[in-house]
Amino acid sequence: MKKTDANVRTLLEDATVGLSRTATWSGLETDPFYGPEQGELFDYEKDLGNPGQYPFTRGAYPQMYRSRMWTLRNIVGYGAPEDTREGIENALRMGTAGINVVVDTLSQEAIDPDHPALWADAGQEGCSLPTVSDLEILLKGIDVTETDVAWHSTMMIYPLVVAMAKRQGKDLSRLQGSHMPDHLQLRLGGWGEAIVPAELGHRTTVECIEYCIEHSPKWALGCPQAYDLRERGASPISEIALGMAIINLTVGDLIAKGIPVDKIAPSLAWVSSSDIDFFEEIAKFRALRRVWARTMKERFGAEDPRSMRLRIACHTSGRSLPYQQPLNNLCRATVQTLAAILGGVQSVETCTYDEPISIPTEEARELATRTQQILAHEVGAARTADPLGGSYYVESLTNRIEAEALALLAKIEEIGLIRAIEEGTIEGWMDEYNYRFQQELDHQQRIVVGVNKFAPDVIEPPKRFSYDTARMQAHLARFKARKQARDSRLLEERINSLYRAARAGQNTHPAMIDALMVDATIGEVWGTVRVANGLPYDPFNAITSPFTYRG
Amino acid sequence: MTSLKLSEAEQATLDAVLAGDRRQAARLISRIEASDPTVAPLISALGERGRGTAVVGITGPPGAGKSTLLNTLIGQLRMSSLRVAVLAIDPSSPFTGGAILGDRVRMARHGADQGVFIRSMASRANLGGMAAAAGDALTVLAAMDFDWIFIETVGVGQNEVEIVNHADTVVVVVTPHSGDAVQAVKAGVLEIGDIYLVNKADTGGVERTLAALREALHRGRGQHQWQQPILGVQATTADGLEAVVAALASHRDYLGDHPEELFERRRRQTHARLKALTFAELQQRLDKPGAVRDLLEHWAGEIVEKRSDPRTAAVAILKCLDITDA
Amino acid sequence: MSRAKIRCMLGMLGTDVHSKGIRTLAQLLRDEGVEVIYLGEHNTAESMINAILSEDPDVLGLSFSTSTYIHYTRDLLEKMRVAGVDDVPVMLGGLIHPDDEDVLREIGVKGIFGPGSITSEIVEFLVSVTGKPLSSQA
Repeated sequence: MKKTDANVRTLLEDATVGLSRTATWSGLETDPFYGPEQGELFDYEKDLGNPGQYPFTRGAYPQMYRSRMWTLRNIVGYGAPEDTREGIENALRMGTAGINVVVDTLSQEAIDPDHPALWADAGQEGCSLPTVSDLEILLKGIDVTETDVAWHSTMMIYPLVVAMAKRQGKDLSRLQGSHMPDHLQLRLGGWGEAIVPAELGHRTTVECIEYCIEHSPKWALGCPQAYDLRERGASPISEIALGMAIINLTVGDLIAKGIPVDKIAPSLAWVSSSDIDFFEEIAKFRALRRVWARTMKERFGAEDPRSMRLRIACHTSGRSLPYQQPLNNLCRATVQTLAAILGGVQSVETCTYDEPISIPTEEARELATRTQQILAHEVGAARTADPLGGSYYVESLTNRIEAEALALLAKIEEIGLIRAIEEGTIEGWMDEYNYRFQQELDHQQRIVVGVNKFAPDVIEPPKRFSYDTARMQAHLARFKARKQARDSRLLEERINSLYRAARAGQNTHPAMIDALMVDATIGEVWGTVRVANGLPYDPFNAITSPFTYRG
Repeated sequence: MTSLKLSEAEQATLDAVLAGDRRQAARLISRIEASDPTVAPLISALGERGRGTAVVGITGPPGAGKSTLLNTLIGQLRMSSLRVAVLAIDPSSPFTGGAILGDRVRMARHGADQGVFIRSMASRANLGGMAAAAGDALTVLAAMDFDWIFIETVGVGQNEVEIVNHADTVVVVVTPHSGDAVQAVKAGVLEIGDIYLVNKADTGGVERTLAALREALHRGRGQHQWQQPILGVQATTADGLEAVVAALASHRDYLGDHPEELFERRRRQTHARLKALTFAELQQRLDKPGAVRDLLEHWAGEIVEKRSDPRTAAVAILKCLDITDA
Repeated sequence: MSRAKIRCMLGMLGTDVHSKGIRTLAQLLRDEGVEVIYLGEHNTAESMINAILSEDPDVLGLSFSTSTYIHYTRDLLEKMRVAGVDDVPVMLGGLIHPDDEDVLREIGVKGIFGPGSITSEIVEFLVSVTGKPLSSQA
């Protein structure tokens, strides 16, 4: 086809790489260059320290990746437990060191797969895990006191794992693994008041951590779960502010229960995101570690350096990967992973390039793993700790993000975190952030390649992940059959104990675990807690409790 | 009264609404909102022939938990299988005229309940913040088979006072936080209440707030025979809700027993609403293209050219207002 | 004062929690003078139909980020038919795969706005399907 002059001019224009924006991705204005004129950007001893030294700005460990490579993790999860098990084995074969499992939306919301209005969502977006027996199928042959399985989930997953371990006669004090107990993040992230009432959610977070610290001290707790806060509509600054507000309230409540901070903080890890603004994210990780260290020491009086040294688990941002021209996302995810490494995180999950479409294909998963391996072995990203430390730009950004985060945190705490959530204030800020973001896209004040500029003429429809649903059907049938076959008298007893514990304001975890051990379902257990708290059994108001509650 | 003949179609609509047809009622309310002039005889007929259920207005400062309270209250009423309607009013954007009507979300628990009718309404351009269509919409709802009708606004400024003009029972909700009750007294909101609720009654300061309210109301007493109940509630756990329902029923009975008071109340409300509507109508005339706006522009020119003064001009415009260009 | 406002109901069905899209759309439509009846997340077909009966919307918009949208849409439209409210036009937004568009239109969906759709396209659709002009504040 002949190219006209106009076409050629357009092509040439397109080919010029221009500067469309001088502000960071989250909107902080930047200067053309940074130098000594900034003034004193830091006092090395006070504000930076060496890697592994308070305030840990430069990194959590002295040798950083020389002594401890970041954990290569891949998330798996779809369909029936048997399906996900296959996915786990594939990932291990490809070089993944850590298993990270995600559960389906029903399990995430503590709803059973036989829910009359929602059964179609079972097995979608994650593994369907409604009972301990299903967990046993998923983890058959895996000893959870020897193998670290990380759960990308909040509701009910920890009691499920503990119930399984107890049923297997395992020593809980040796239980390995991690999950994300942060309920307030769910509340803000679209679960809403219907599924996670702020006050009950926060209380459950506190109780989970309390139980965990006492019974399974080797279990890591990903709190706050700031990755989803970012995806929902938070900037790096509000990630720190909101995350610290959650931490301050949670740690404060645990201390009020008589647990010393040095028993709490070392079990916590910050779950973060790495978005597309390379320098801003690196600065954020550094500012975050400094804020955490100072908070633990000054606000909570921590004495153990392990309380002050924050470990960060990172997932590159899914939100930043557009649907259009998905191969571009290989580049984006690479830059984001590099930012996370240079930011000194302890584990990083690289988004697959087809993330915006559906469950990742095997090919995409492999490419994500290779990205990390190239960064490690060829690029030398891990060679030296905090390589951008001392950069005028990065130190300036670090300071700025810290200052603005602390100001926003003060604002949140003035209102009161729970109140700010219940009144919709925090969601309002997030909605506004997204709204402005979209407006900037609409007016080309923010360019996303392939989306609002440099868009291809033809958009290749994405490949879709499909799997044989035969096992899923069998799983659902088995679930229903198992419900019938349970010892209903024993179940009723355990459920009622749970109800009474919840009514009495006790930590519900022991009773939840006891009920799960006799194959109560997550919907039944959480539904009972809900009823005890004056809420409808089913957040969708389609079913009522099958139990009669006494006391 | 009205002996306007209704068309067959309109008669069908009237009968349907009286029989409790929700969709027909909703469509009629949409026509009211769109200022459809043909609805007037229908509304009159509904006002005459309908059940005439009393309306409860829920008001109070922002953050008092009105929405949560209403949500829980509906739950309480539904336990006795009582049928409930809610008119939820949210402000329109003064710049774009659009609105996000999000009150329903706060009552999502009752979303699938066919015994609960929730209608969201934007305030639109009404001066007082209350939707101009609210009055007629409430007439429609009051004509149907609902046991309780609530009107709820977001609670910003003017709205609060205007709700009095649409409700037979006004419930004022405050919390013990930040001296809401004291502020409410100062703002003059306090006089309008028939029932006072101190929400979040399990937090500190509730006794003080209850006492402050009792004192403030005692001073104003002697104006009515109705003794305003002052109740503590906890909307999220439904503590105290039974007493609230009892108080609502009690006030409704009181109005039933004192028809002269109900009549006086409705007369005052109608007066206020008529005034507001007249203002709105005038405002509209001054803004939209037409004879009145032309006059305004003409006189503005005269003033700038120093051939006249604003006061004279205003009077002259008023004199010309029997120009009908509606 | 404008008379004929477009009343657009927006909501999500099922367990989907990704409401960022419809929350942003709600604000953008408000900017265009539309009255948005916001249902939020976690609706069932029954609760949506109950809402249609009392709110009398001009249009219903559903947003999906999970892959089960064909199931939920089909289920909703069938129940709308039974309830006699299938005259309300339905539009879909979110992660809708182009291969599914034919099936969705067959089911009765009137507008499909997959990723990358711009607000003005949606607004144009609202105007054309409701027959009401966009109103701006006098």
